[in-house]
Amino acid sequence: MRNFVAGAACVGLLAAAVDPREEAFIGTRRNYWAFQKVERPAVPAVGGVWSKTPIDAFVLEAMQAKKLTPSGVASKRTLIRRVTMDLTGLPPTQSEVDAFLKDTSAKAYEKLVDRLIASPAYGERWALKWLDVVRYADTNGYELDAERPQAWRYRDYVIQSFNAGKPYDRFLREQLAGDELYPGDHQALIATGFLRAAPRHVVGGNTDEEMNRQEVLLEMTLSVSNTFLGLTVGCARCHNHKFDPITQADHYRLQAVLASSKLDEPYIATKEERLRYDDLAMKHAAREKPIKDAIAEIEKPTRARLQDAKKKLLTPEHRAVLEIGKDKRTPAQDVLFKEAQKQIGLSWDEVVNALPADLKAKRAGLRRQLHELDYEEPEKPAMAFAVINAEKAPVTHILKIGDHRHKLDPVEPGFLSVLGGIEAPKTPQGRRAALANWMADPAHPLTARVMANRIWQFRMGSGIVPTPNDFGQLGGRPSNRKLLDWLTAEFVSSGWNVKAMDKLIVTSAVYRQSAAIDAAKAAIDNDNRFYWRMNTRRLEGEAIRDSVLQASGQLNAKQFGAPVKTPLEPEIYDIIFTEGEPDNLWPLPKDKTETYRKSLYLLNKRTVRLPMLTNFDQPDAINSCPVRPVSTHALQALSLLNSPFMHEQAVAMAARVSAACKDVDCRVKAAYSAALQRGPSAVELKMAREFLSAKKMPLEDFTKALVNRHEFVYIP
Amino acid sequence: MSSSISPSRRNVLRTAANGFGALAAEYLLQRELGAVPSANPLAAKVPHFAPKAKRVIFLFMVGAPSPIDMFDPKPALKKFAGQKLPESYGKIISQFTDGSTTLLPSPWEFKQYGQSGLPFSTLSPHVSQCADDICMVRSFYTESVVHAPAMYQVHSGRILTGHPSMGAWVTYGLGSTADNLPAYVVMPQPEGTPEGGTPCWSSGFLPAVYQGTLLRSGPSPILHLKPPEGVSAERQKATLELLQKMNQLDSAPGDSEHAARIASYELAFKMQSAAPEAVDVAKESAATKALYGLDEEPTREFGTRLLLARRLIERGVRFVQIYHGGGPVSIQWDAHKDLVLNHEKMAGMSDKPVAGLLKDLKARGLLDDTLVIWGSEFGRLPMSEGGNGRDHNPHSFTMWFAGGGAKGGRIVGETDEFGLHGVGERYHMRDFHATVLHLLGLDQNKLFYLHNGRNEKLTDFGGNVIPKVFS
Repeated sequence: MRNFVAGAACVGLLAAAVDPREEAFIGTRRNYWAFQKVERPAVPAVGGVWSKTPIDAFVLEAMQAKKLTPSGVASKRTLIRRVTMDLTGLPPTQSEVDAFLKDTSAKAYEKLVDRLIASPAYGERWALKWLDVVRYADTNGYELDAERPQAWRYRDYVIQSFNAGKPYDRFLREQLAGDELYPGDHQALIATGFLRAAPRHVVGGNTDEEMNRQEVLLEMTLSVSNTFLGLTVGCARCHNHKFDPITQADHYRLQAVLASSKLDEPYIATKEERLRYDDLAMKHAAREKPIKDAIAEIEKPTRARLQDAKKKLLTPEHRAVLEIGKDKRTPAQDVLFKEAQKQIGLSWDEVVNALPADLKAKRAGLRRQLHELDYEEPEKPAMAFAVINAEKAPVTHILKIGDHRHKLDPVEPGFLSVLGGIEAPKTPQGRRAALANWMADPAHPLTARVMANRIWQFRMGSGIVPTPNDFGQLGGRPSNRKLLDWLTAEFVSSGWNVKAMDKLIVTSAVYRQSAAIDAAKAAIDNDNRFYWRMNTRRLEGEAIRDSVLQASGQLNAKQFGAPVKTPLEPEIYDIIFTEGEPDNLWPLPKDKTETYRKSLYLLNKRTVRLPMLTNFDQPDAINSCPVRPVSTHALQALSLLNSPFMHEQAVAMAARVSAACKDVDCRVKAAYSAALQRGPSAVELKMAREFLSAKKMPLEDFTKALVNRHEFVYIP
Repeated sequence: MSSSISPSRRNVLRTAANGFGALAAEYLLQRELGAVPSANPLAAKVPHFAPKAKRVIFLFMVGAPSPIDMFDPKPALKKFAGQKLPESYGKIISQFTDGSTTLLPSPWEFKQYGQSGLPFSTLSPHVSQCADDICMVRSFYTESVVHAPAMYQVHSGRILTGHPSMGAWVTYGLGSTADNLPAYVVMPQPEGTPEGGTPCWSSGFLPAVYQGTLLRSGPSPILHLKPPEGVSAERQKATLELLQKMNQLDSAPGDSEHAARIASYELAFKMQSAAPEAVDVAKESAATKALYGLDEEPTREFGTRLLLARRLIERGVRFVQIYHGGGPVSIQWDAHKDLVLNHEKMAGMSDKPVAGLLKDLKARGLLDDTLVIWGSEFGRLPMSEGGNGRDHNPHSFTMWFAGGGAKGGRIVGETDEFGLHGVGERYHMRDFHATVLHLLGLDQNKLFYLHNGRNEKLTDFGGNVIPKVFS
């Protein structure tokens, strides 16, 4: 057994002495497989002609042990659709398919893979997966669920990192401690947005500051341990972990690493940009003022009338005190004064409901003018939605059942005892950097394993460890430990190169298998844990939406920038919580083509989800989601058949197809090509003719049916 | 599900394919036989033990009504009116007040009702008529003084978001007997969503299929139920037929996911006629409508939703979540000021419909196995806010149960002389949830889901079932 303490030396840290009670708790559980250093296994001597990569030998060896054999190779058309959808989130175009089918060179597939991995959509595809894990959203969550106007820079940072082929150890360091390790690097500062991607409760009134801070730290600790360690350290918040050798003290040591941090939005805009903004903002406010004044003017008599009526209801004492000047009131009168103020206060709806109809309409018109003016609001200077160091680090205590009111022993910042119990600096500075360096050590038994498993999971449809956020006792065991360790070793020796791993996986024979179900093999391994066939995978709601836009020719492939709002059904608009006036809660972009951006760029509001996306199991951005569940139910069918979005796109696709040619057969072929990148079979052509010519159904109904089809929504 | 399905039922299912081919019908049959459990997350499941209740209607009063003004009379408030809370009570910090304000007696008179003599104030002239069907639990308490976290706790057991709501857990545990309707239905106030918003009916870390489905009255009660404007039912039927034929071309034997997908279109088609029928109250008798207050303002709107609740549970819906209040402060029970105005208005909208629902369920024999819950996120303080209002009281509040095994005419738990704290047995939201699950035949410890390394439960580390509610 080799333990992970070696890593400590190379980052200049010392292994802390582990408390004997904690040591007793950990004991032999230190020998658990996931805590062992990765040793690169020898590639098995199996495979023969089938094997294309070392991966295949490992998979084949495992299959043989179960008396399974691999499936045949998928057709070229299936392969290009599969690998394109996998690596870019969109199906290929017809011309890309044609070119690939024509290319009979031995390197045709490899060239295709290289092109896809180099495409801008590659990073977008990865971002969708990564943001699920870190639970990224553009709003705070909870009741007010306010927007985080600068948070999207982290989303763009993730896309750019994957596209640039950033080594994963660097990617990790930037997200945990970009501010400390790469001072002056704006991207690294933005990367720390990872630590605050989780929901946060922001509300007025008397709240318990210490509890709020605990909640923030708790979410950070969860994010770090789920995302990078693949451990459920959060389970040790209230007590020692029930299944894994993680002590409650460990939880608070990790929390102490984060406790010297604070949430901040430092400017990354230049001074000139900020000055320019100040000037523009002042001018903008000056344009708003006359409209706001006009609204106040309209409301004035009604407000006065309502307030008078309320004054009449006051007790004589309350009424009297309203007339006394501020400096003349006794403390008792002050109390009465505040009460009286509260009692005569008016809410917006009281005022608006009491306005005469003509004034109400006039006021509404003015509000519309204001909202119109919002579009010209100057863009705020760029800031990083970041985490930086605080000047002081409060002492971190172990908390009895996680309750901040019941403090137990203090703890020093440090990492997991089972992995050597290394301590972090006691100064507020350098704690996160130490954590990042410890995790990014090539010898760390979990960091690279966890990511290698994710890469495999995202491409193959299931992880070697089926619970990618939990490598502990309650998580699943690796279906093929040797394969996982080989992939991990390869990942580290490639320089933590995600693109290289992706290429390795998608060029393997395992990946290129047909997905056809074989009853005899299914009887042995129904869940395909041994990869005797390729898994078909339903597209995520986001990818379905994007693919529909591509088929209709409307997709706006513009990358990056502030999140975009798309039209909301009135039923969904109604669930946006506000106690204020519910107008202009969802201003749509002036340029309609913005609403046809990829789903990744749509505003991700935690409490107001887009029905089509949630129906297809889009996660809630509240919990980390390492594997999206795939449920099948009637509301999905309703969304895909009847939502205004789908209808609009079906019509647009019909128009696109009609423009291409006139006769029915030609249009049917064009529609098949746009949706499925192939021509219709004889049977399909007959069905289409019957629908369009015999039954005289409109083309938009035909295109809608096409994009509802299994073939359209599944990665083959 | 039973495997002794009758031959005639087989035929019904096989011929119910409406021209969509045998595959969907075969799938539905297999589903009924329990042969394809993994592909159908909403199939009805057998509870852990014999249930007293088979379904739930949860009436949630948004903003927190004041129990000491409705059900829990406190004569001491009159006696000590205008005085401060005795120092022995300690410092009571609420969301907007700090405990320094004076005691405010209830502006309403109380009387006892029914054979049981349950007290109600004049705010409940109708619900008080159902006193003998109601079990009041007066000493619930919660952990947050702020609306949304407290709402999350009533709904999901935790003050943080991200946990499944009770409706999601129940649907996960029991599935649904309504193929043509969503299993878990949510009806918010038309003026706006409750402060907690969608996390109140979310599925949290459970699959999204268990989340509450919003439903409203009218011809298109469920989002995207009807074809878009200009698309006739005939066109849609033809489109579906074409689609299902194409989907069959795409399906291979043994592919349960594709089969489930074909069936989902079939169910969607059925839902298109079933849902509008379920929310169409036109055929209800004038007497029934009047019972719920549909014939007059201000009860028409809430009465309509409660009548829909009855129609939905009749059709197999498992869990109906209804919010009274939401949107602007003036349409919530959140009486920080003008307690009288606020509660007269909110009770005026809801009292008659709630009583109507109880009476109607009883008359139809549905009350026996339908659990009706009336509740909120917390209660209100005995001290005043702003002279004529009340701030939030998480230390004690009343929720009540009717039907579904709850013992009517009973009071469980008590509060101190001012109604500030519970005394004796106090009940956490975990106890509330454990009790509801128990009535549904579900063991809180057997209903779990592995999430992030933990077998998560609605009741977290466990609640205590409150036996006095039902035995």
